[in-house]
Amino acid sequence: MAQPTHNLGEQMAQLEAARNLVLGDAALYPQIVQGILPIIGVNARLELRRWGADFLAETFASPALATSQKEHLAGAVVLTLREILEQPAEDMAVIESMVQTAASLYPHIFRHIGNENYSIQHPEDVSTWENMTAIKQNILRRWDSAPHPIKICCIKFVQKAVQIQTPGTISDPRRPEQNETSLSIVPRNHVLLALPNLEAEASGLLDRLLTVFLENSDDAILVNATLNCLAVLIRSRPSVANKIILSILNFNPLKQANSPMTPPLRRFVILIAECEANHANGSGRNPNHPLVVKIQHYIDRLVQSRHEIFEEATRKRGLPVEPADVLDSAKRARLGVDTPPLIKVPPLPPGPTSISQLFTLTQDVGLSSFDVKQLPVDLIVKIAVPVLARVDQNALSQSIEAVRFRYQTLSKLQAAQPKAPVEDEEDDYEPEYQPTDVGGNANAIDEMVLDEVTELQPELMSLGPFVLPPPPPLTEEEAGNIGRGTVERIFDMLTSMDMPQKPTKGSNQQQLGFARLAASTFDRDAWITLLTRLATRASASVETDSKTEYDFATGNKLVISTTIREMLYRYIVEDFRSRINVGISWMNEEWYNDQIQLRYASMHKNDDTLVPLHYDCWVLRLLDGFLPYLDARDKVLIRFVSEIPKLTIPIVERVKSLARDPERVNLSVQALLYLVMFRPPARDMCLDALEDIYRIYEESRPVVGRVLSKWRPQEIDQPTDQTKQEGPSLLSPQANGIKSAVLLENVADPGSQVNAPVVQQQQQQYPEVGAAAG
Amino acid sequence: MLSCPKMAADPRLAIVASSTPEPPPPPPPPPELSPMSILDLAVNTEERPEEGCAELPLDDSSYKLKFCTVCASNQNRSMEAHLRLATAPTSYPVISFGTGSLVRLPGPSITQPNVYSFNSTSYAQMYDELNAKDQRLYRNNGLLNMLERNKNLKWAPERFQDWVPGMPRIDHVAKGDKGSLGTEGGVVDVIITCEERCWDAVIEDLMNKGSPLNRPVHVFNVDIRDNHEEALIGSKAILDLADSLNEAASQERKSNGAEGWENGTGDARRSFDEKVPEILAAWQERWPNLLALWTLAWF
Repeated sequence: MAQPTHNLGEQMAQLEAARNLVLGDAALYPQIVQGILPIIGVNARLELRRWGADFLAETFASPALATSQKEHLAGAVVLTLREILEQPAEDMAVIESMVQTAASLYPHIFRHIGNENYSIQHPEDVSTWENMTAIKQNILRRWDSAPHPIKICCIKFVQKAVQIQTPGTISDPRRPEQNETSLSIVPRNHVLLALPNLEAEASGLLDRLLTVFLENSDDAILVNATLNCLAVLIRSRPSVANKIILSILNFNPLKQANSPMTPPLRRFVILIAECEANHANGSGRNPNHPLVVKIQHYIDRLVQSRHEIFEEATRKRGLPVEPADVLDSAKRARLGVDTPPLIKVPPLPPGPTSISQLFTLTQDVGLSSFDVKQLPVDLIVKIAVPVLARVDQNALSQSIEAVRFRYQTLSKLQAAQPKAPVEDEEDDYEPEYQPTDVGGNANAIDEMVLDEVTELQPELMSLGPFVLPPPPPLTEEEAGNIGRGTVERIFDMLTSMDMPQKPTKGSNQQQLGFARLAASTFDRDAWITLLTRLATRASASVETDSKTEYDFATGNKLVISTTIREMLYRYIVEDFRSRINVGISWMNEEWYNDQIQLRYASMHKNDDTLVPLHYDCWVLRLLDGFLPYLDARDKVLIRFVSEIPKLTIPIVERVKSLARDPERVNLSVQALLYLVMFRPPARDMCLDALEDIYRIYEESRPVVGRVLSKWRPQEIDQPTDQTKQEGPSLLSPQANGIKSAVLLENVADPGSQVNAPVVQQQQQQYPEVGAAAG
Repeated sequence: MLSCPKMAADPRLAIVASSTPEPPPPPPPPPELSPMSILDLAVNTEERPEEGCAELPLDDSSYKLKFCTVCASNQNRSMEAHLRLATAPTSYPVISFGTGSLVRLPGPSITQPNVYSFNSTSYAQMYDELNAKDQRLYRNNGLLNMLERNKNLKWAPERFQDWVPGMPRIDHVAKGDKGSLGTEGGVVDVIITCEERCWDAVIEDLMNKGSPLNRPVHVFNVDIRDNHEEALIGSKAILDLADSLNEAASQERKSNGAEGWENGTGDARRSFDEKVPEILAAWQERWPNLLALWTLAWF
């Protein structure tokens, strides 16, 4: 007879294996469910019935199993379900799972029957519906008397029944398979389903469901189970939502103040209220719905009475409740522990408190004014030791508590922080899920951090004023380093705020005209202005004075302005297309400063002090910085040369040099042409350059010829002939950049006169640039 | 009720029954078995027993509640508790989640946290990244140790709101997640959160999901501060709570059918669910510093 045990183990293992199979592949459910039904029936052993009940509950709850399949299986299972439920004295766990199964099953059966062609009665449908009705009646009978685990499952079943048997919303009449299962999907004249009866039944069931609130039940489990399943009804069945909410509002959990589980209830009410609020918004109703206001009142009232009853005990993350907290006698009394005699603690005298006052608990004037120091030490020792040995533990802890309380009140007063208590965490809890925009969370994080900091901050005693010793004076080098660091930080910031916000500029911010104060808007432009002026003007006079120390080429004695220029240069060249305006405004500042310095020098100093001029060298350097990277269609160059304040021959030479590259001939010519047309003072200079180009680069002739024919018609014929005579074979139209560079050396004598000294000068000034460009 | 007197009197049987403590649930079967062949076996070996044979000693000692631990980022508190529940002598089935929108770990400063997304960044990845970033810092603040522990427990942090209860978790079992045995069905009996706002998030999310499973679940909150020490203490408290709950549940299981329940008296007649508030109250007295909340919600 030991066999059955063995078999049972084996059988269970096989069933578990079967379960694992369907968990791995939901397609196998129909086979397995059909297979196990005979094994787990009413006559099976308890373990098998339990396993089967659990398995069925799992099957019909599984989101992995498709609804249509569940609908098919439901018909097969319903009879077994009924048999087991109607079995007298069935195991509690089995019933529990079976009621759960029934709750999951009911919608599928209802849907199946409701969707059937209602004029024809399928015999199997009739029996299925009969069985389901019997199951429902069985569960409803159990509801009142069953032990709690079954009762809560009954509650859930009833909630499901109410949900199904109440008309729901039809989201799309054309696609019935997508609509939620409810009375609304059943035609009015259905043979099996008598709609009015079902609806009436649902209404009665809902009333029964809500009695738990009307009777102010103190059974935490039933209350919680009911509350938590009602949310879905409130959401999906607007017709009964009002009724449900009103009964919940009628519920006063605090009538049973000794129920230990009341604080959570408040949260449910809040949650339900939130659901309702969502619902109200979702369906386009007025958010100022009277009900919403009512809910708010209810919550406020609950919170208030809860505070009265539970005081500090339920505060979120409050201080640990001290076991010695006997001052709070009200709490003790309620728990039925007898209170030790209370020591009367007099209030502190008004005004500033001395330490001795803080510790004085007696009201006896003689005692408190007695100076212990008058007694000899050995006498005190003799008295103190036996007294300490006999100290009443209770009195001691009470006294300590009293002093602590006084101390805390005092230190709170001293800290005098008008900070609101921490009660509003719900709102600032989590920002929405924004994985792409982590930066957007920064604010929320900051807030959290702030909260945390204030939370963590200990209540500081008021310390005396503390003055930091003054720092040692900076050496020049340190100052330079710090200055450089500051400038670097500004540039970091510039790059981070690089995209000037267009919408704010265009929309509400009015355009500031000439009257604006430079650098007062704190946007990118303002910082640029600040930097350029810092670079050009700030140390201008200093440089003049310490001329000997200033070594531009090596840059050893780096004045701060040179650093800034260096960084401005790098900043612009990094992305010259979008930052060319920075370059232009910088150049304007440079030129302006040079002029001012010159005028200043001529006015005040008649000796020939050298004024360091920056414009000429920096404009060339900047031009060299981006010239090699110019694209054939870049408009940047034209903009740059037209907007810088002063054109010099070296600049024009640089522009001309672009023509070496056959691809960029046009760019060079266009830039020069623009200058010819719109900068009359530089016209001659540019025309000279154009002439050179015309003479040297054959591919430029069609364009340049047209220009020159307008401005210098006399020049066209002669040089053309020259080059034609000299080497038509060399100057093929396909000549690449290198070839033409060679030609430049050999052929273009008039140009090289200008060119050579400039290049030399440039190489003197910027050896590193010359190398880089080469 | 002793309709099988022979069996009940057989002393060997008692030994057999008691000396075969149920081994941990069997691993998933070899896949080559077809479902029908398994069922055939099951049907063939079945010997429709008499009613009274239900009195055979059941393997109730192996009955275990299934747990779920939840904190904000599924890193510290929930994982510490996950570890403890999974490695306890009873080795509970346990899964764990976070309720935050993103996984946030402390960074070099309080305004520069390390942020990862749930479900897709594995613990091992985070470990490697932080290790490469600043080994000293993250070793000292315990992050690397924590991640090392976590990556041995399971693959990646999971977000509670993305969890579909009832979806089979076979793959987690196959991957060898600690505590995954018994959680194949994708449901649990008890959820324990480690912070009140997580508890709120859990309740709200369960309401949002509309409780399609019709399955009750007890949701507890145990307030634990988010640091390594408190997480350690908190996990002990959670294990204590789990033990008490499991004890009551398996007792109910043992009461052996409705008859057993009817025959008991007083406390024995009260079900597990009814006892939960009292178990919690007793637990709260043992752990007065960890404020607790409870409710009964629905999957």
